[in-house]
Amino acid sequence: MTTWYLGLSTSGHDPALAIADEAGQIRFAEATERFVQDKRAWGIAPDHVTHLEHALKACGADPERDRFVVATSWKAVKASLDIVVHDAMLPASDTIWMRGLQAGLQASAGANLLRLGVEDGRRETLHFDHHHCHAAATAYFAPVDDAVCLVLDGEGEVGAASLFSMSSRELKRKWRGWGPGSLGTFYAWLTFHCGFDWRLGEEWKVMGLAAYGSILPELQGEMTRLLLVDHGRLKFADNETIAAIDALTRAHARMPAEPIMKAADLAATGQAVYAALADRVIADVREDGVPDLLLTGGCALNSSYNGTIAGRLGFERVHIAPCPADDGNAIGAALLAFMQDRGVAGVPASPDASPFLGTVPDRAIERKMAHAANGLSVTDVSGRSAAAVAGRLAEGRVIGVMRGPAEFGPRALGHRSILADPTRPEIKDRINAEIKGREPYRPLAPVVLEAEVGDWFERPQPSPYMSITLPWRSTVQVRVPSVVHADGTGRLQTVSPDSQPWMSALLDSLRQTTGVPVALNTSLNVMGKPIAHSVEDALAILATTGLDGVLCEDYLVEKP
Amino acid sequence: MTENTKRGEVAAFLTQRLAEITKRDPSMITGSSVFVDMGLQSIDAVLLCGEVEDKFDIELDPASIFEHDTLDSFLGLIDERIAAQ
Repeated sequence: MTTWYLGLSTSGHDPALAIADEAGQIRFAEATERFVQDKRAWGIAPDHVTHLEHALKACGADPERDRFVVATSWKAVKASLDIVVHDAMLPASDTIWMRGLQAGLQASAGANLLRLGVEDGRRETLHFDHHHCHAAATAYFAPVDDAVCLVLDGEGEVGAASLFSMSSRELKRKWRGWGPGSLGTFYAWLTFHCGFDWRLGEEWKVMGLAAYGSILPELQGEMTRLLLVDHGRLKFADNETIAAIDALTRAHARMPAEPIMKAADLAATGQAVYAALADRVIADVREDGVPDLLLTGGCALNSSYNGTIAGRLGFERVHIAPCPADDGNAIGAALLAFMQDRGVAGVPASPDASPFLGTVPDRAIERKMAHAANGLSVTDVSGRSAAAVAGRLAEGRVIGVMRGPAEFGPRALGHRSILADPTRPEIKDRINAEIKGREPYRPLAPVVLEAEVGDWFERPQPSPYMSITLPWRSTVQVRVPSVVHADGTGRLQTVSPDSQPWMSALLDSLRQTTGVPVALNTSLNVMGKPIAHSVEDALAILATTGLDGVLCEDYLVEKP
Repeated sequence: MTENTKRGEVAAFLTQRLAEITKRDPSMITGSSVFVDMGLQSIDAVLLCGEVEDKFDIELDPASIFEHDTLDSFLGLIDERIAAQ
């Protein structure tokens, strides 16, 4: 009988499952939204029956014989705490709604194992602290054994910030914030005032828009007063102060139907306020002799800010997992269950820090496709797929790729990506308008070789999971116009031949064809939809957008 | 530090903070004082848990102050957590 550790993200938004084996290694991890193709998958069970069935099969788990330790990403049911919901920043109805979802998912976690044949005696359920799950998931991917680990998110068990120290991979909490006070809530509030919806995950739009605006100094000063930072702990100002600052902010706000650029100055101001407040927290958590910071929680998706940390504020390096938000807590919960069940003190380390932990494309579909192309050309490019795709990109074509296990986390890192040649200035508008169907200002990201990152970027540092934004060197911006944002930055992914041989080969091919070893990489989806999960999803994007082709493993499917 | 000294330190801290939060004389607060009867709001009760965590380097469940609703009962829980370290 084998024991499996099934981690479930039970927040109510961004559900996900992760399965660790008896050695504490993650064998499979995937967000529910990918499987059900519903963005953020609000309220859907992270152990959704058919998704769970697929995941168990992918691991080789046997529901008829094996033992399953189920772990949720929350210790408590938020709704059971009888306190008045803080509603000065966001409507109480949203918070009450989310707490209801969380209560339901906490209660039903793991029940779907019964449907798959797991008898109750071979199933037990554990509950882990939310921020502890964030910290454990981040530690799994960290390339160091000793670090300061800071969690910043929308809401934890009692507050929205926790500090852990990691020594020889053992995590120990040093403190946690209590009560209302949250950088995640601040950014959600900002997102609403910019005319976007945090419930749809549109914080990205604010961050991207900030590059087009100018900071409004007076508003910046006022907005900074929304949150007090005391020894790293966050606390909202009193309700009267918040109401006054909210009124000032409304003068610069944008309604959803208004032109997007109306909110650019507010976005720039809010992003600067976020950075100033996060700076205060990080400055408070530095430790002498500890140069590495693990940053996690949903706020660790603020790539614009993340790129400013290393070399400043007392930390030489910052490490961010591919999945710092609540989906990643499925991994954290699975690992904590393994550690508790096995009496292991330290968080296991991933052997290769690979983010590719999800579903593999269905090979049978590929074979069928070859016989039912309906006007598309299907070419077997086995053994030469990187060069074949690079060749198409150099011709100005835009190609989707679906190769190997899917990425875990919000970024497409080359396995579920849309790739293009960034030297072509027109390609950004084409991708935004004709393929992704999104706003023209939205930036697109570059991939560069890790060994060459200093040739392209200021403050060069590894960014294997596209977690940080850095300024392009001024002399190279003209060579890659489609991936230079309005403020001269790029949210880069770095790859090496060891970690990503296929993408590295593609960049080398581009060096030979375009003279520029940089690829444009954006996620294989259309606006409002999750990243493609199945081969059918990928082909639907090909059929319904201006995409020129899709590489499904070794088959290149192309329009004439 | 002996256990009695530590308990005394915790009791003094809680008494002082409860007096400040509920705006009453510390001499009015006894071991059998019920938090709700003292006018302690639920959000202030939760925040007080956080202060105890920080000051005495333990972890408390946020619901614990509602489950231990007198000063003596809450002190007993904190004693257990300190002893378990």
